[in-house]
Amino acid sequence: MDLALSADEEELRRGARRVLGERSGAKQVRAAMAREDGHDAELWRLCARELGWAGLAIGEAQGGVGMGGVALAAVLEECGRALACVPLLPTVMAATLLDVAGTAAQRAEWLPALAEGAAIGAAAVADTGGAWDVAGVGVSARLENGAWVLSGRKAGVVAGHLADVLVVAARVGKGVDLFVVPGAAPGVERRVMPTLDATRRIAEVTLNQVRLPASARLGDAGEGEAGAALERALDIVGAALAAEQLGGAERCLELSVEYAKVRVQFGRAIGSFQAIKHRCADMLVAVEAARSAAYWAGWAASHAPAELLHAGPLAMATASETFFDVAAETIQVHGGIGFTWEHEAHLYFKRARASAALLGDASWQRERLARRLGLGGQ
Amino acid sequence: MKILVTVKRVPDPEQKVKFKGTSVDVSAANWVINAFDEYAIEAALRLNENAATGEKLGETIALSIGPKDVSQQLRSALAMGADRAILVGGADEELDSFAVARIVKAVVEREKPDLLLMGKLATDGEASQVPQLCAALLDWPQATFAAQITANAEGLEVKREVDTGIEVKQVKLPAVVSVDLRIISPTAVVNGKTPATHAYQEGPRYASLKGIMAAKKKEIKEISLADLGVKAAPVTKLVSAEPPAGRKAGVKVKDVAELVSKLKNEAKVL
Repeated sequence: MDLALSADEEELRRGARRVLGERSGAKQVRAAMAREDGHDAELWRLCARELGWAGLAIGEAQGGVGMGGVALAAVLEECGRALACVPLLPTVMAATLLDVAGTAAQRAEWLPALAEGAAIGAAAVADTGGAWDVAGVGVSARLENGAWVLSGRKAGVVAGHLADVLVVAARVGKGVDLFVVPGAAPGVERRVMPTLDATRRIAEVTLNQVRLPASARLGDAGEGEAGAALERALDIVGAALAAEQLGGAERCLELSVEYAKVRVQFGRAIGSFQAIKHRCADMLVAVEAARSAAYWAGWAASHAPAELLHAGPLAMATASETFFDVAAETIQVHGGIGFTWEHEAHLYFKRARASAALLGDASWQRERLARRLGLGGQ
Repeated sequence: MKILVTVKRVPDPEQKVKFKGTSVDVSAANWVINAFDEYAIEAALRLNENAATGEKLGETIALSIGPKDVSQQLRSALAMGADRAILVGGADEELDSFAVARIVKAVVEREKPDLLLMGKLATDGEASQVPQLCAALLDWPQATFAAQITANAEGLEVKREVDTGIEVKQVKLPAVVSVDLRIISPTAVVNGKTPATHAYQEGPRYASLKGIMAAKKKEIKEISLADLGVKAAPVTKLVSAEPPAGRKAGVKVKDVAELVSKLKNEAKVL
C-alpha cells in the first residue's frame, strides 16, 4: 500500500487547489450561499465539464478516467478546504450507487453523463437523510403493469433540487431496491430545505406515484436485495466524504495557526501561550490521523475491497469527529472574531456538523466496524 | 506553426524566501512553473489551435533546462496541452542567463521552430535577459514584453505596452517573442482561425483530467549538454544574497501641527 500521491495525483491536487483558490474564495462561496439553490453553476461547469472531476473514479469505459479513489480523495480534500459550492460529492454518491448496483447496461446508460459533468447526480437513501441503512428506507416501490411506481418522501437529499439523476432507495416487499429516477420525471416534487450548512443545500424530494420503466431498478438480482450493494457503496462514498472533511479540518487548523501567530494579547502573540499551543498541537495530531484514515479508505475503495470493510467506517468516524472538533476549536482559538458572521470559522463549523450526519454519525460507523470485526452488536 | 516554449521552474513565489549564509536556500522549495512561462505556454496553445473546433494548427514543444525533477513542471506543461517536451540536463548553479541562452540556441538549431516563445522574465532572478540574448545569438527578430499577438501573412504583429502607450511591432518568422502579463487576457492572441468572437477565460488554462492522463503518454526527451555540444560555462558569479532590511517602526505624531512641522523640516517635502 502506497499512500503517497503519484505524480498525476499530485498534479491533479495542485491544479484543484489553484482552480478553487481562484474560483472558490470567500467572496464566491458567500455569493453561492446567498442564492436560493446554493449552487455555483459557473464553478461546476468548469470543474465537471471542462476539468472532468466528476469522472475521476468512474471507469474509462463509462466516460470517466478511472484514476481511482486516491485521486478522488485528493480533489475532494481541496473542495472541502475551499467549501466549494458544487455538487461533486452527491454526483459521486449517485455514480457510486449506479456503479456498484447497476447492470452493465444501466452503467452504460447513466454513468457517462455523470462522468462528463453533463448531469448532476444525487442519492436519496434514508427517508430522513443520514445513515445509509436499509431500516431507514420507507419509500415504497411496486410493480404495476410492468412499470415501477414509487411513492413517498425523502428528506435531506444533498443537491436533490439540482439533480438530473436521482438514485432512490425504495422498499420492495421485505427488502430494498435502488431506482434511477430522472429529476424531471412526472410526479417528482423537489423543495430546498432550510439548512444549517448554507454551503451545501439539501432538498426534500416527494415522489407522487412516479412511474418508471422496469429497467429503472438497478441490478438484476432478486427483488429487494440491494442491501449489500448499499453497504458497499456507503463505504466508497464514505471514503470520499472523509477526504472532503479532512480538507475542511486542515483549513481550520491553518486558520487557527495563522491567527495564533498574529493575534497579540498581554503583549505577546497568543500562539506563545501553552493553552493555545497545545490546542493547535492536538488539532494537528487529529488532522494527521484523519488524513491516514481517509487516504487508506480512498486507496482501499479502488484497490482492496476487503480492507475497505474496515477502512470505510473507520475513515467516516475519524474524519467526522476530527472535522467537528477542529472546527469547534478554531472558533475558540479565534475568540470573539470567530463568532462573527463575517469570519469563515462558522462556515466550517456548520459544514462539519452537517457532514458528520450525512452518511451516519461516528458512533453508528464504529458500530458497523465493530460488527465487521466480530465484536458483537446486532 | 511550430513553437518552442521555454519553461523555467522557480520556487513558489507564495512561499517565504529562506536564506542560508549568504545564499538563498532552496532545499525545501516548492517548485512551480515561472508564471510568465505559463503565460507563454498559454499563448503558444492559443496560437496553435482553433478554439471553436478543437483543431490543432501546429506543434507546441516545451523546453526546460535543469535537474531531472524539472520533468514535473514539463509534465504540467504537457497536461495543459503542449505536444512534447525536451529536458536539457544541467545544474541550477551553472545556469546563468548567458548559459541558458546558448543552450536554448542549440535546441532551436536542432528543432528549427518558427517561433521561440518565452516569458518576459523569471520570478526568481528577475533578470529578463534570456529572450533578448537568444534573439541576438540566433540573429532573429525579437518582440519583447508582448501584450497581444496577432498572426498574419507576414509573420506576427506584436503589441507591447510602453510608458507612452502601445507600441506595435511586426516581426517576420522565425522570431523570438517574450510575453507579458496581459497576453493571458481573453482576446490577446489572434491566430486567424479561432473565431474573432471567441473569448478565452482569463489566465492560463487549467489542466483537465483528460489533459493530465494524455500527458502521461507524451514524450519528455532528455538531452545532455554534451549531446548539444554546449558547455554551461557561466560568466556571472553569485557573490552573496541577503534579505532586504526589515521595515522600521514609524513615528507617531501628537497632532497635525507636529506632522506638518516634520514634513517641512525633516522630510523637507513641503
